[in-house]
Amino acid sequence: MGKLILLSLKFAILFFTVEAVFEDQVGKFDWRQQYVGKVRFSHFDTHVQSSKKVLLATENNVFAAVNTRTGELGWRHVDKTGPEGNIDAFLQYGQDAVLVIGNGRLLRSWDINVGGLNWEVVLDSGSFQSACLVGQQNTVKQVAVLKKAAISLHYLSNGHQKWIENLPDSETVDYQTVYSGGNGEVYVLGVVPHSHITVVAYSVEDGEIIKQYLVEAPWLSNLQVSCTVVSQGVLTCIDSATVSLYTLDLHAQSQMTQMPLQTLGLELAPGFHPTLVSSQPNPSHPPLSEFLLQLGPDHYLLLQLNNGHVVTLRDLKPAMLVTFVTTGDKTVAAVMSPKNRTACSVNLFSVETGRRLLDTTLIFNIDPNGGKPEKLFVQAFLKKDDSVGYRVMVQTEDHTLTFLQQPGRVIWTREEALSDVVTMEMVDLPLTGTQAELEGEFGKKADGLMSMVLKRLSSQFVLLQAWISHLWKLFYDARKPRSQVKNEVTIENLSRDEFNLQKMMVMVTASGKLFGIDSNTGSILWRHNLDNIPANAAFKLMVQRTTAHFPHPPQCTLLIKDKDTGLATLHVFNPIFGKKSHITPPALTQPILQSLILPLMDQDYAKVLLLVDDQYKVSAFPSTKNVLQQLQEMASSIFFFLIDSSQGRLSGYRLRTDLSTELIWEVIVPPEVQRIVSVKGKRPNEHVHSQGRVMGDRSVLYKYLNPNLLAVVTESTDTHQERSFIAILLIDGVTGRIFHEAVQRKARGPVHVVHSENWVVYEYWSTKSRRNEFSVIELYEGMELYNSTVFSSLDRPHAPQVLQQSYIFPSSISTMEATLTEKGITSRHLLIGLSSGGILSLPKMFLDPRRPEIVSEQIREENLIPYAPELLIRTEWFINYNQTVSRVRGIYTAPSGLESTCLVVAYGLDIYQTRVYPSKQFDVLKDDYDYMLISSVLFALFFATMISKRLAEVKLLNRAWR
Amino acid sequence: MMLPHREQMLLLWLFVQAAVTVTWCFTDLEPGPGVGAGFQAQANGDRFKIEGRAIVPGIKTQDWVSTARVLVEGEEYIGFLRTDGSFAVNDVPSGSYVVEIVTPAYRFEPVRVDITSKGKMRARLVNYIKTSEVIRQPYPLQIRASGPHSYFMKRETWGWTDFLMNPMVMMMVLPLLIIVLLPKVVNTNDPEMRKEMEQSMNMLNPNPELPDVSELMTKLFSGSKGTSKAGSSSSSSSKGTRSAVKRR
Repeated sequence: MGKLILLSLKFAILFFTVEAVFEDQVGKFDWRQQYVGKVRFSHFDTHVQSSKKVLLATENNVFAAVNTRTGELGWRHVDKTGPEGNIDAFLQYGQDAVLVIGNGRLLRSWDINVGGLNWEVVLDSGSFQSACLVGQQNTVKQVAVLKKAAISLHYLSNGHQKWIENLPDSETVDYQTVYSGGNGEVYVLGVVPHSHITVVAYSVEDGEIIKQYLVEAPWLSNLQVSCTVVSQGVLTCIDSATVSLYTLDLHAQSQMTQMPLQTLGLELAPGFHPTLVSSQPNPSHPPLSEFLLQLGPDHYLLLQLNNGHVVTLRDLKPAMLVTFVTTGDKTVAAVMSPKNRTACSVNLFSVETGRRLLDTTLIFNIDPNGGKPEKLFVQAFLKKDDSVGYRVMVQTEDHTLTFLQQPGRVIWTREEALSDVVTMEMVDLPLTGTQAELEGEFGKKADGLMSMVLKRLSSQFVLLQAWISHLWKLFYDARKPRSQVKNEVTIENLSRDEFNLQKMMVMVTASGKLFGIDSNTGSILWRHNLDNIPANAAFKLMVQRTTAHFPHPPQCTLLIKDKDTGLATLHVFNPIFGKKSHITPPALTQPILQSLILPLMDQDYAKVLLLVDDQYKVSAFPSTKNVLQQLQEMASSIFFFLIDSSQGRLSGYRLRTDLSTELIWEVIVPPEVQRIVSVKGKRPNEHVHSQGRVMGDRSVLYKYLNPNLLAVVTESTDTHQERSFIAILLIDGVTGRIFHEAVQRKARGPVHVVHSENWVVYEYWSTKSRRNEFSVIELYEGMELYNSTVFSSLDRPHAPQVLQQSYIFPSSISTMEATLTEKGITSRHLLIGLSSGGILSLPKMFLDPRRPEIVSEQIREENLIPYAPELLIRTEWFINYNQTVSRVRGIYTAPSGLESTCLVVAYGLDIYQTRVYPSKQFDVLKDDYDYMLISSVLFALFFATMISKRLAEVKLLNRAWR
Repeated sequence: MMLPHREQMLLLWLFVQAAVTVTWCFTDLEPGPGVGAGFQAQANGDRFKIEGRAIVPGIKTQDWVSTARVLVEGEEYIGFLRTDGSFAVNDVPSGSYVVEIVTPAYRFEPVRVDITSKGKMRARLVNYIKTSEVIRQPYPLQIRASGPHSYFMKRETWGWTDFLMNPMVMMMVLPLLIIVLLPKVVNTNDPEMRKEMEQSMNMLNPNPELPDVSELMTKLFSGSKGTSKAGSSSSSSSKGTRSAVKRR
């Protein structure tokens, strides 16, 4: 019987720890933002006049359709990262979008209406050069793909190869361009640098070479950069050395004609490499005879080739960006020119005449915290009166896409820099103005008892007033329909809520743009684009001062390090407003090896940042006298470690009083056998509530809570599946003592590690069984605690007991993190980013090395789940239900003011923010709490007592009469 | 002499702890060239194509293909679905892979596909525990959705029937009815009837030596405080007997 009760109890507990989202909570605490990345190619869907799509092919190997009215994603296809999914070319015809992917490995055609694949074919190997659509008699039926040594023609309808031909002399000739003017011929143009151009014309029908000839061009080195085909197949080139335009009629087999720019009355900006742009609105027709020539950074010319003569139609100066756009049978040139320092204007020019079209001005305001315009995409359409209307999509240097219409109204903006978040922090919001004033009262020096009392009374009155107005607002809003109540969050009305659930998310992106995002709504409150960010920069964001130290503003420091040189710069800013701090950070002249935030504070409550340079010299920021003095006092107890993964060296250092360092330990991991993949310590803001675990026999198993413990993961350099292994080392960061080493044979990375409390969980790929496996290591001190008051790495004679268990996980994962709460009372969950886009919240209870194989009475009492080799993935445990997050790169967890609640941000291509309650919401009423029921029961009871009291009185009276 | 020294040590170590935990490494740990080299070696071998079709019964393919992807061994190889629901994952070297179709809306079972070095294919059920077990599946793959994903828990709703059918409520209501209704039905003043009832009560309680729970409790709380320890144990035992009675 007892067993039965226990079992049922256990099931009840198991059932209750299963945490899931309720359907009515969708979108209540969570939001998702989807991104695509920096745009490489873009086409507006023009095949239907009413279409509302713009297609984007990005540098993140994403192909997506964005709704032009709202800026939201219609559909999105995320390919593999790296060069294999790289989009080389994007051609659009009708409702088909043809992409060349992975250096010409794949040719894919998408149906842009449905967002599904039409076909995909594998192309022969060879590096991709160029692709074009091939049309005849007003229809486009084929696509030509030019590779290093071959050209192939594919049907647009099914992708089948029509023909493939090897290019003549492909060892010597560098074929770069393919061109088709719709006359049944495909021209392939190759160049032998500084010698000649090779022209080969193929028949579209059977791939036979129609003609092949050489043209002398000793000045030419690259066709793609300096040449283009205009008009009826006239190859036009520009050369900066001879300052001339060259033209060659591809059909005539003649020589190149040289036209010095001087004869055209043109001048080239010194040192500038000129370029040519032409337009071929319909692939089955030859290109327009008008083309653009860029002569300087802000100087364009609209030229026309007329019977072998070049005529200047319009001198466009200043012009930052120029592009051709066609709608119907009209082609115009859209020109962006600077207006003043904060705005640009866009105008349309008729291509035939070069005249500016009336009423086509559009103003684009440049965000002072953004970047300069980089690319211009124009959507043109014919208005009812047959004039050309247009909207523009501007891409700026900070990867922002802005879609505007005349006269300058922004329809939507997409911050595509957020597709590549590198690191982030969550910062508490400041108190409201009145609260802050109240706080400030305590900091001030006292000026008399009476005035203090008065001040206190007045501030309490202000608070009361604020509270009443808040109540009034609540009452007022309650009468309005929910959709009308809008709480616009702006930087001015930001304030902390009761439970500190709303925070400021400071996000650092790879492009060097910083964002401040409100965690409740996901709206971007500030943005700041950093200039001069090296391409391969590493970022580390540190909170030096939180909002707790009013009136000192909060302070964040971003360390930006060039990975090649190791040189670093510091950017100090206010995380709430995004403004750069007036504090000038020290100039760092030496490469930085390590940075650490100390718990020491200067007199302004800013935590001290230590930077270790390659001479092992330490510098502090802020470096006031106060700080240096504190550092000197504390120096003997400040330790840090350095990792050199190339040499496999882990070394521990101690700070000396003169801020030099002293090597105290060193561990060498032989780099020819294994290499260090990652090193994980514990999070400094983590709290552990219980020191031990109560066993079935009421004894306590104490946890080994060493805050200095590091988990070092290594992978074997031998990747053969029989010999590869991964290893995990548990090292004390102060003494260098190795507590434990676990080796998984026949396993390989990528290894994902979470290190927290007294446990390390890691995930790897088992090459033997071809599955993902989880392993958990837990460290225990034993039944007795050596020194329960304080932990010291130097004074712990007993090695911890190590328990380990492994499990099978039926999916591959992309990242892993543990939940974090204020006091650490709530049970822990692991948040696992799956490759399917789900974020699984797996109770740590399932990853417990004490899970028994044979269940006994005592173990039942401890609530251990019997061991099962396979961990389950239940979709109810997905914290993001169907809001999948692509390519999750990191999960950030932060505690809130409520012990039960942990804030979670998953970032990758998308950003998803939500709250999780690992032990359910035990400290607040659930949001489905039935107020009606409880109040009706209360009232009913109240009336029942009243009535029964009355009845009892009547009865007593009656009895007395009897 | 020892104590102050020790205290100092403690303080120091408090700081050390904090110092080292905040220490964070800035070394760039990226997968080195080793992985790349391994991949290169594989790339020289033949590449194959995994083909199949995914079906969601009763749903038009246009409505869901744009959100679906075919993942081969995580994200190692990726395929997309054609507008008719069929798919092909190109450029896969020989080996054994788990192929799954992921969409946020529908659930598909994963399939393991084995490709020999000559390009022979076979599909079988995924079994992570017995990895060599073969339960054949059709190839080219025919993957049928087993329904929509269930992401949400059902809210516990409150209804009168749930409330009344609750065993606790039943247990409360039935004795109440007996207490209220029985004296009305049976005349308790009749001495014969009273005797009969007493007898039946004795029948219900077969163990007359067992102390009555209510009596015990009153004794306990009215009695001296010194016996409280005994009381707690006895109360627990009485609970046990009560539950035992109920169960019977």
